[in-house]
Amino acid sequence: MTQSQPQFYRSASGRGTGRLAFWLFRHARLPLLAALAFWLCLGRSHARAEDIHTESRPPFLHNIPLHDAKGRLISPPALLGEDGKPQESKANPYSPALTCGKCHDYDAISQGWHFNADAGSVKPGRPGEPWILTDPATHTQIPLSYRGWAGTFKPSDVGLSDFEFVTNFARHFPGGGPGEPGKIKSADPQMGRMLITGTMEIDCLICHQTAGRFDHEARFNALKAQNFRWAPSIAAGLGVFASFKSAGSIADSWHPDRPVPSTLPALRYDRARFDTENNVLFQVSRRPPVNNCYYCHTSESELGDARWHSDLDVHIKAGLLCVDCHRNGLDHAIVRGYEGETHDRAITDTTLDLRMRLIRRDDSAINEEDARKLARQQLQSESGMIETLTCRGCHTAGRLGSPRPVHKGLPPIHLEKLSCTACHSGPLPASQPQVVHTSLTHKLGLPAPERGKNTAPVILEPVFLRGADGKIAPYKMVWPSYWARLNGTNLTPMLPAEAAKTLTLPQPSSDDAARDPYNTKPLTDREIQQALESFPAEPSKGQPVFIAAGKIYLIEKGAMSAREFPAAQPYAWALAHDVRPASQALGARGCAECHASDSPMYFATVAARGPVEAKNGLNKEMWELRGDDKAVASFFAFTFHFRPLLKCLVFAAAFVVLGVLMHYGLRGLGAITAQGSSTGKERP
Amino acid sequence: MSRAAGKFSYAVLCAAGLVLAATGIGTFALGKAPMTHWVLMAHVAVAPLFALGLAAVALTWSDLCRHGADSPLIGPAKALLWVILLAGLVVTLSGVLPMTPLFGTPGQHLLYLTHRYSAIVLTAAVLLHLPMLGRRK
Repeated sequence: MTQSQPQFYRSASGRGTGRLAFWLFRHARLPLLAALAFWLCLGRSHARAEDIHTESRPPFLHNIPLHDAKGRLISPPALLGEDGKPQESKANPYSPALTCGKCHDYDAISQGWHFNADAGSVKPGRPGEPWILTDPATHTQIPLSYRGWAGTFKPSDVGLSDFEFVTNFARHFPGGGPGEPGKIKSADPQMGRMLITGTMEIDCLICHQTAGRFDHEARFNALKAQNFRWAPSIAAGLGVFASFKSAGSIADSWHPDRPVPSTLPALRYDRARFDTENNVLFQVSRRPPVNNCYYCHTSESELGDARWHSDLDVHIKAGLLCVDCHRNGLDHAIVRGYEGETHDRAITDTTLDLRMRLIRRDDSAINEEDARKLARQQLQSESGMIETLTCRGCHTAGRLGSPRPVHKGLPPIHLEKLSCTACHSGPLPASQPQVVHTSLTHKLGLPAPERGKNTAPVILEPVFLRGADGKIAPYKMVWPSYWARLNGTNLTPMLPAEAAKTLTLPQPSSDDAARDPYNTKPLTDREIQQALESFPAEPSKGQPVFIAAGKIYLIEKGAMSAREFPAAQPYAWALAHDVRPASQALGARGCAECHASDSPMYFATVAARGPVEAKNGLNKEMWELRGDDKAVASFFAFTFHFRPLLKCLVFAAAFVVLGVLMHYGLRGLGAITAQGSSTGKERP
Repeated sequence: MSRAAGKFSYAVLCAAGLVLAATGIGTFALGKAPMTHWVLMAHVAVAPLFALGLAAVALTWSDLCRHGADSPLIGPAKALLWVILLAGLVVTLSGVLPMTPLFGTPGQHLLYLTHRYSAIVLTAAVLLHLPMLGRRK
């Protein structure tokens, strides 16, 4: 038995029409035939729900009925039963896929950038922020991504199943993708649990609710208990989980050979949320408010109480929303906004089908092949528009009233060598990059003891690196840290649970744990050596090693050694926000901001950070990380001492030449004039 | 001004111009524009020398080349000197003005192109001028 039930509003891959038709044929042959006959007799009185749209700028009032995961209308029992006794308002939790999906093509949406990481067929695009599997107890921090960005591990590469990935990151994971497998294999001990816990559907309200009532903490707690199916309802404040036993606990006591319990806990709905026709009002917007984005995309280098110093992004301050630039259509293929993104975007079959449908609606005479061709042409043409949503594109085109960049005194070569973000984004560089906390990594948005500068994983910004396009841009950087087995050149990371089985690391005292809940005390060389020695010798699996702060630690000839190692190299991803105004851009106060012998752009020290003593980490300057030539950078900076003298000399020389030219030019003009006058006098 | 000073300033102009042409026009001709790193630094380092040489040539040669001057130079050589001075002025100013906060990106780009093409004109003028110096009236 699978979890999938008839899903009347879904139609494509994974839960496609083929499976729907099969299910219908298998389970509902007679009713189906009857319904078909009825439909044929009466004609189709109602258009398909997906085809109904308002197509107006103001949002449609979403006072709508709820549907559960089986597509059934949710109608909480009346307050009093027929016998006059009070009744609990219990019913199945609502399904975003079958409630929102009734009008909005859920399958198309699920192709979106936020949900398609594990699709495999999607181009990875520019490396972005990874999920970082963090465990303070074992000092583990492993960058993960389904997209295969160089420097990250795919979850399966480290032995993390999709289910484990989802449970680890559900707090900021919007659903879909690995949380919503097309088919649940009941025999799979982990994925099979989803038959009870439910899948993690895309929770549309995370982004689109505008009422400010979405409870992320409640959602997190629900997901932590593996109440996947119930989480969207709980987070939306529609009700509470109506059982003392979580779905995770029920799944724990269930065996894949046994049938799935038929009576899973219900949701106790808040009756006040339903009107007399059992509709529920959702305050939603096509254009998510900034704070909805910030829940997952906060990036704060003003830590703790210093947050009040932050100016926020200049665009946000000007009144723009994130989605004014990071736009998307129904396919939710959100514009990431970097130059060259057009080449990384693929036109999916779903997008193509959607467009074909529109074309054929408007032109009934066009055949399918021509419609497909035309749809592809239109989509390709539109993808060119994406470039106008980059910094350069928008400010050149003047979209949304964006000022055209003037860049007075900035030689144009800078625009070829630097990305816009190099001067305008992130904190101003200093002699050392700053520690930055991000939502995805540091669980911002969820209540926890105050995170500090050493809370793992330590991410630094801005680090100026050269991107794939050859331009220097600011990046965030993190160093992986994990216990692993090294077999030849193959490095196999250990998951925290596996490492913890044998790892002997000093346990903090209760006082220390209270004072330092994130276990930020670095490991000494001796502690690392003891830990490495505690792993059982398993030559077939390889030698135990520790990766941290840019180095590999291993026992060689009875002693521990540490050296640079390719897999220990940091992972970096470009940062683009917060954007500073032109007056606060790097270089606005003169060339020396970058071209000086101590300018951070070249000479800031980037100290590798990890759970080891600072003396053990690698220190590299920015030029070194970029592979630049220090002599060139230093000498070029040195020449700027003479720049004022050079200008004075050249201007002085130019004035002399100009003076000579004017002198002889005017003399020549005078001679010609005099000659003309004398010639005139001689005339009779 | 003595003739020696004139010859010296012309030699300075030519020597500096050679380095500038090799670094600037050479990079452009090789399709590697714009200049960067050591090439750019060499170009910028020699530029003041060229400007001073140009100014010295202007001061020492202009009277010889004025219209009607009693000079051993032939007419075309005189005319080319004024071309050299004019093109040199344009090259110099278009090289130094981008270092001031007066021009935005379009202006900077225009100055860059002006610098490039006026330098080509200047180089051509100098190359034509040099052989004419040996020819006397």
